[in-house]
Amino acid sequence: MTIFSATGISASYGRTRILHDVDLPELHDDEVLGLLGPNASGKSTLMRCLTGEKTHHGRIVLDGIDRDDMDVMAWHRRVATMPQTPPNPSVLMPTELMWSTARALDLDFSDRELADRIEDIFNRLGLDDFALSPLHVLSGGKRQLVGLALALLRDPDVLLLDEPTSALDLHWRMVVLDLVRERLTERGGVVIAALHDLDLAARYCDRIVLLEAGQIVASGTPGGVLTPDNLARVYHVETSVSRDEQGRPAVQVIRPIRSGERLAR
Amino acid sequence: MAPADLSLHDRFGAIHRRRLLIISVMVLALFLSLGLDLAAGPAGLDIGDIVGGILDPQSLALRHRIILWEVRLPDALIALAVGAALGLAGIETQTILDNPLASPFTLGVSSAAVLGASLAIVLVPVLPFLPETAILPVMALLFALGSGTLILLIVRWSGGARETVVLFGIALVFLCNALTAGLQYLASAEAVQQIVFWTIGNLTRAGWLEVGLVTACFVVILPFSLRQVWIMTLLRGGEAHARSMGINVARLRIWVILRISILAAFAVCFVGAIGFIGLVGPHIARLLLGEDHRLLVPGSAICGALILSLASFLSKALVPGVIIPVGILTAVVGVPVFLGLLAGRRKAI
Repeated sequence: MTIFSATGISASYGRTRILHDVDLPELHDDEVLGLLGPNASGKSTLMRCLTGEKTHHGRIVLDGIDRDDMDVMAWHRRVATMPQTPPNPSVLMPTELMWSTARALDLDFSDRELADRIEDIFNRLGLDDFALSPLHVLSGGKRQLVGLALALLRDPDVLLLDEPTSALDLHWRMVVLDLVRERLTERGGVVIAALHDLDLAARYCDRIVLLEAGQIVASGTPGGVLTPDNLARVYHVETSVSRDEQGRPAVQVIRPIRSGERLAR
Repeated sequence: MAPADLSLHDRFGAIHRRRLLIISVMVLALFLSLGLDLAAGPAGLDIGDIVGGILDPQSLALRHRIILWEVRLPDALIALAVGAALGLAGIETQTILDNPLASPFTLGVSSAAVLGASLAIVLVPVLPFLPETAILPVMALLFALGSGTLILLIVRWSGGARETVVLFGIALVFLCNALTAGLQYLASAEAVQQIVFWTIGNLTRAGWLEVGLVTACFVVILPFSLRQVWIMTLLRGGEAHARSMGINVARLRIWVILRISILAAFAVCFVGAIGFIGLVGPHIARLLLGEDHRLLVPGSAICGALILSLASFLSKALVPGVIIPVGILTAVVGVPVFLGLLAGRRKAI
């Protein structure tokens, strides 16, 4: 059983305050939280605060234990991040990257177990043919999948995904998010994903937090958050939101709202 | 592509075993090159005499014993030690700065050593109480370590940003070169000649003390490098991933640059600025062994030692009776090997 909470998160770069006292909803097993917001809304900074990369104010608590009271490596074995940037296109092979990660993090696998685990993850992500190819021959999308494989290697309770589908085509976007969902059903845990794609967010997230300029504009279920008013305010677009057969919102973007223009309400 | 029915464990294992074989061949080549280097020269010693003379020095006539033990062995062994130190420093520089064009010399270590040595060469005639043989390497070492300290301060100050480190290193190279040029402008013709000769790089200045110091430096630092091979391997996947796993890349960078500075400073202070090995040694090793730093780190040191040892052999064998400064030959040996491997790889892809 995993319970994750992050409250009162504030962060700055130099004197510029990026996040203002952000409270995420408390997440329980099997829940997927989507972080939405335009560029420079603070999504990535918030993700970096959650991973522990960026110093910040506020409390992050996993299963009742404050992160500040946890050993750094113990935290990173339970909380894995897939950064926005895919792994570098070097001569390194995906298997070597996975292998060295497991050994550097001191994951408790024998060589045989580790190889089988890597093979299993690669199979699920369609990377089996590329396991022993240099990373530089892989497309950007495939390398992004290697980034996800790296995060999955630790079998984390909390999976943080920063724009996980930005380099992927339509098919793989859905495969990845389906996989993330299936994994939650199999083993529990929580997922927090910073996303750009509103439809993917509506389809896969249980809760959505909408950020603008480092503050939460709306937080709740996809249906409650993805409204034309909220989207006009945050993204400056006119939208019509309908419901699909499961009652989830489907967002259709009509046009951008130019500065100075007021939306007819 | 490997047969699909083999598991990843078997296929990855096969790649690793093939690389182990390659590294064994490299070690063998190193011994061969050492033998050639020891046998080269006008004294008429053949390989049999050399091996016999090493195992039982009394078996050689006094003249040959002195040639082998006081001249050839120190020269041949300093080639191995300096080459290995530069190869190791090179691979660590390229990985930690994520820059294939970087080498220990990019950080200004060797330019600073040249400046220190030049200063010594110019000062010795002015201050006659300084013993020249000792002051030259000591000044070179102090300046090289000083430039390393400056770089470390910059790394700390910039929070470990690698672009800042490279740019500062290049600025330091220019500054040291300018100061050396200034010294040359002021110095006497003989001093200028000495500075130029030192800058080219030459193994024949080394004795057993120098061999011991450079070897000790390499032997002390290598275990620290080997302890971090996993982190260095995963760093090739990118800094963002390493950081997201909780690895403190900025702190890692400080430790690695400290190691690089010490290795490069000791490597160049006795033999002069032997360039190129720290740049191409790692690349040759990477072409042969891949990016797995478990093998790449020792492999790069072996490659560096091999290039310098072969260059040392050629420096004596090319023109009988003349020793060409080895710094002139490192690129002459290294570039064809490097280009050959690169061409072979192109075909394989």
